[in-house]
Amino acid sequence: MNGDALRTENRELRTAMANDRRPATTDFSIIGKSIAMVDAAGKTTGSGKYTDDLSVPGMLYGKILHSPHPHARIKSIDTSRAEKLDGVVAVVTGKNAPNPFGILPVGHDEYALALDKVRYVGDNVACVAAVSESIAEKALELIEVDYELLPAYFDPEESMKAETGLIHDNKPNNLEKDYHHAFADPDKAFAEADYIAEGRFLANEVTHAAMEPHSTLASFEIDPHIGNPGRLTVWSSTQVPYYLQHKLSLVLEMPMQQIRVIKPLVGGGFGGKSEVIPIEIIAGIAARAARKPVKITYTREEVFWAHRGRPRTIVDLKTGVKNDGRITAVKARVVQDGGAYCSYGVVTILYSGALLGALYDIPNIQYDGYRVLTNKPACGAMRGHGTVNVRFAFESQLDEIAAKLNIDPAEIRRRNLLQPPCITINGLRVLSYGLPECIDQVVTRSRWNECKGKLPKGRGLGIACSHYVSGAANSIIRSDMPHSTVNIKIDRDGGVVVYTGASDIGQGSDTMVAQVAAETFGCSLNRVKVVAADTDLTPIDIGSYSSRVTFMNGNATLRAAQEVKKQIAAAAAKKMNCAPDELVFRNDTVNRKQLAGEGARATQAQPIVSGRVEGQILRGSLQQKRKDEGPKDSMTFEEAVVAAIDFHGALSGTGSYAPPAEARGGKHKGAGVGPSPAYSYSAQVAEVSVDEDTGEVTVHKVWAAHDCGRALNPVSVEGQIIGSVWMGMGQALTEELVWKDGLLMNPGLLEYRSPSSVESPEVEPIIVESIDPEGPFGAKECSEGSLAATIPAIANAIYDAVGIRLHESPFTPERVLAALRAKKNAKPLNLTEGVDPTAPTKFREHGGSTCFKGKGPQRHELDPARQAAQPGDTE
Amino acid sequence: MSLPEFKLLRPRNLADAVGQLAQHAGSIRILAGGTDLLPSMRQKLFDSQYLLDIRHLAELKGIRPQPDGCVEIGALTALTTIAHSDFLRQHYPVLPEAAKTVASPVLRNMGTIGGNICLDTRCLWYNQSFQWRKSCGFCIKKDGDLCHVAPGGMKCWAAFSGDTPPALLCLNADIEIASPAGVRRVKLSDFYTGDGVIHRKLQLNELVTRVFLPASSSGYRGVYRKLRIRGSIDYPLAGVAIVLKRSNGHIEDARIGITAVNPAPLLVKGATELLKGKSLTEDLAEAVGDLAAQTAKPLTTSALTPEYRREMIRVFTKRALIAAAGD
Repeated sequence: MNGDALRTENRELRTAMANDRRPATTDFSIIGKSIAMVDAAGKTTGSGKYTDDLSVPGMLYGKILHSPHPHARIKSIDTSRAEKLDGVVAVVTGKNAPNPFGILPVGHDEYALALDKVRYVGDNVACVAAVSESIAEKALELIEVDYELLPAYFDPEESMKAETGLIHDNKPNNLEKDYHHAFADPDKAFAEADYIAEGRFLANEVTHAAMEPHSTLASFEIDPHIGNPGRLTVWSSTQVPYYLQHKLSLVLEMPMQQIRVIKPLVGGGFGGKSEVIPIEIIAGIAARAARKPVKITYTREEVFWAHRGRPRTIVDLKTGVKNDGRITAVKARVVQDGGAYCSYGVVTILYSGALLGALYDIPNIQYDGYRVLTNKPACGAMRGHGTVNVRFAFESQLDEIAAKLNIDPAEIRRRNLLQPPCITINGLRVLSYGLPECIDQVVTRSRWNECKGKLPKGRGLGIACSHYVSGAANSIIRSDMPHSTVNIKIDRDGGVVVYTGASDIGQGSDTMVAQVAAETFGCSLNRVKVVAADTDLTPIDIGSYSSRVTFMNGNATLRAAQEVKKQIAAAAAKKMNCAPDELVFRNDTVNRKQLAGEGARATQAQPIVSGRVEGQILRGSLQQKRKDEGPKDSMTFEEAVVAAIDFHGALSGTGSYAPPAEARGGKHKGAGVGPSPAYSYSAQVAEVSVDEDTGEVTVHKVWAAHDCGRALNPVSVEGQIIGSVWMGMGQALTEELVWKDGLLMNPGLLEYRSPSSVESPEVEPIIVESIDPEGPFGAKECSEGSLAATIPAIANAIYDAVGIRLHESPFTPERVLAALRAKKNAKPLNLTEGVDPTAPTKFREHGGSTCFKGKGPQRHELDPARQAAQPGDTE
Repeated sequence: MSLPEFKLLRPRNLADAVGQLAQHAGSIRILAGGTDLLPSMRQKLFDSQYLLDIRHLAELKGIRPQPDGCVEIGALTALTTIAHSDFLRQHYPVLPEAAKTVASPVLRNMGTIGGNICLDTRCLWYNQSFQWRKSCGFCIKKDGDLCHVAPGGMKCWAAFSGDTPPALLCLNADIEIASPAGVRRVKLSDFYTGDGVIHRKLQLNELVTRVFLPASSSGYRGVYRKLRIRGSIDYPLAGVAIVLKRSNGHIEDARIGITAVNPAPLLVKGATELLKGKSLTEDLAEAVGDLAAQTAKPLTTSALTPEYRREMIRVFTKRALIAAAGD
């Protein structure tokens, strides 16, 4: 789109919006109140059931054999010895289910169990189902796999040069996907810029580290006569039960209607459970072969191999500005080390480019994105999917520009704000935009103007902003299906049951759904029961990812509740001799509007005569009494429900949500990723100190303002903001997957260092409410948008404290010290040994699995270490 | 990862324990706090037929000051008890200082001083699951014949990663070792071999029972500085313990111990001589820091690069000295 046409369109959009201003309602009884999560009691007392807590009669334990090689062809697999071990019921390999799958329709490149090739250390080769975990583990040792080793690729820039020995035969140069976008005229805009900053930023690979390891229990109904497996029930720790149902159907070659997926409590996802993980299908394959239920729970190490986290990202960024700090153009070249499979990779690389837009007003954008395959576990979606590493680069560079042009870092951000409602140059529609207020809030609360640059030596403040989608406007499966559908049923005693496909993974979606329903019905929260994420019972919802649930499932819930409320109102209005729109639902009563205030007071004063207390018979007579007395000005919620059921026969309704066509983005290739019905905004200020002798960085406080549209449950929103900041701080300072020749050196929570409570700073969450015109009660997302700002805020604070600009995350003490030394021209610190994941160029030159033959000290005859050892070798 | 099968033996008393240990020598391991042993067993680093559970032996617990001025600490005394002991804080402050930095509060409640002294050496190539180790062809410390950290040599460089031993070395501690032959007492500084595989001089039928701190080490100021990435949980990536006695503004005596940068905790040789009789200056602290850094031989056995960890031994020694010598 050219700039002029866009300006015209944006002007029209603004006029339309101004005419459509509805007064925002603020008088809520349940929305906007800080309430405990509806599942909090079970979780805090330990009675809540996660997948691994479940067992069914006859259940077996599954264990998976993983590849010890980063890249090898499987010549043969011999499972006969394992099968003979006492207690082993079944051993399955790739041949038991040879259909490929993958979360994206364009990326069906994975097999639940490897078919002909393994592509990373940890790739799945075989699975044993046995009566105990230890027997299954022993059986794994008896499986003999003959591998032919292939050259392996560990560095994305090296991998892109590959012409032979490809990781996937249909992906030349090991390139999963590349995109090249140019919006408006970047070259001309750079030519017109007064100052251009350029730099390379590198963000190392991080992972979700959710508390609950993945776990799946699969159980077939076995035909009692012929013993064949029939319907399948799967309990799994998943963010996407419906995708799981679909992929199971694909791989197991069963109709979806024969498969029921149930999501029990999930102990955190962060994207790591937002696609179908091999374990979920392997459990099904093993259960079918064993004709017994099979449960598999990953060890923590296996979670690291399953991974799907944030890829190591190389960002070459160029920003052009005018002297007043206005951005004229941005050019980004992004290379992502995607690992061995596609996963969400195509989406990740598109988000990295698309979300350059919609935060600031950038009139010209050039983006070149490369998603590269390497012989490491697949990367996928992780909190802040695609935007985080590019945001680190962008906000750091903006800070450099501010310093260069002598503009206050908060001010340069204010000078580049969007003017919503608008459509950005890359086709993203922005309606509500709380960023200016977010910046104002953190600047005020942190006393930025007083303190910036005036703190004691070694201490500093940094500011950064970020944003995120409230759900993708285009689902990954191209279809016209609504993204969320919700059913509501109300019983005669006024109990509301909400059937939602939304997956509560700890973020609180069940609570959100209950709140939206209770607010709409004006009933108390404990009347509402949420039945969620069970493919047999609940209507389709595409899952808990891309921060879509509050916006989309919330809207679907709202619509379903409004539909049911309409039915109640029609019946109640008849009883009360008034029009349905004269009725107000509140405090478990239905009142005529003019009496709303009085009615509310009356219910406070009088004890409510309810069927639950008085019993069915009395309620009947009560209704009779009311009937006898003629039309009323007020009914209890139950009475109104009974009236509606009597009138309609049953009381149920459906609501669904699909993003509006205007929000679905532009027409260019890859335009489907990035558009969202609404964007959340965040601004953060971090205060840090740096120890100049050790390079240790301490984060003292983070002020984090987040525009979430409307906070449906403020305490929950604050929790999400604090969690995002904390997770961002982990990536900024301590977390990093360290690789050595394709081998993950820190596959555990001892060596993969998420921050502990000791170094967690005070986080001051500040809620900014921009009241989105399309969100449920004005709400947008609140769980992801804040993460991306934390990393550059800390980087910028380090710059303020000691004047060094860090281009590689995490900012470990040694990287900080090396930068400090470089700045002072002091003795340089050698960091190339040991920790640099790019270092190996040859595949395990010092022995390792190339030379490994059999167990123990039996090494390959060509292994140099063995030759050296031979003189003393008495064997 | 499942625990391998084993038989748990629960001796009634110390004599019983020593007997059972000797009876199954070679196929038995001692379970004290279990904080290191049990995760390692899951990783199949040990596959003993028996575990000797001595957690309930009261005679091996407690801090007992002796009439001659020395103090005796039972090997099963929890690290939390040591960190909170008023007696130790007053007379041997470096030990509780070091003890309180071990792992996290929960692990300190379980972990014992004896376990911390006997702690297995650690390495990124060793403290991994069976499957992981198999992927790299195993290593010289367990099941293999090659050191991935120093592929040229045949020595294991796994780092000793206990926090309290450098403090105990500074305090000239002795340990008591029991076996069917009776008890022997050795200087802690003679207990470690400096080799990553067999890192302590302890026979298969022997058990560490007590730690003795001599009266002559009482009343020293003590400081422990630990390099770690997180403020809790982590093993040391480098650690420096210092004891120091002043008189008339001069250093009367001082000792420096370092940990996590060699296969054994070590006293820094020459530090005492360098410091004795002098008043501490920035230059002197720097010189002693250099000496400590020369003693450290870290390799890529853990996170952070060897050069950085050695550098931190220097910085931490200097800082600890200044802290210990200051007013």
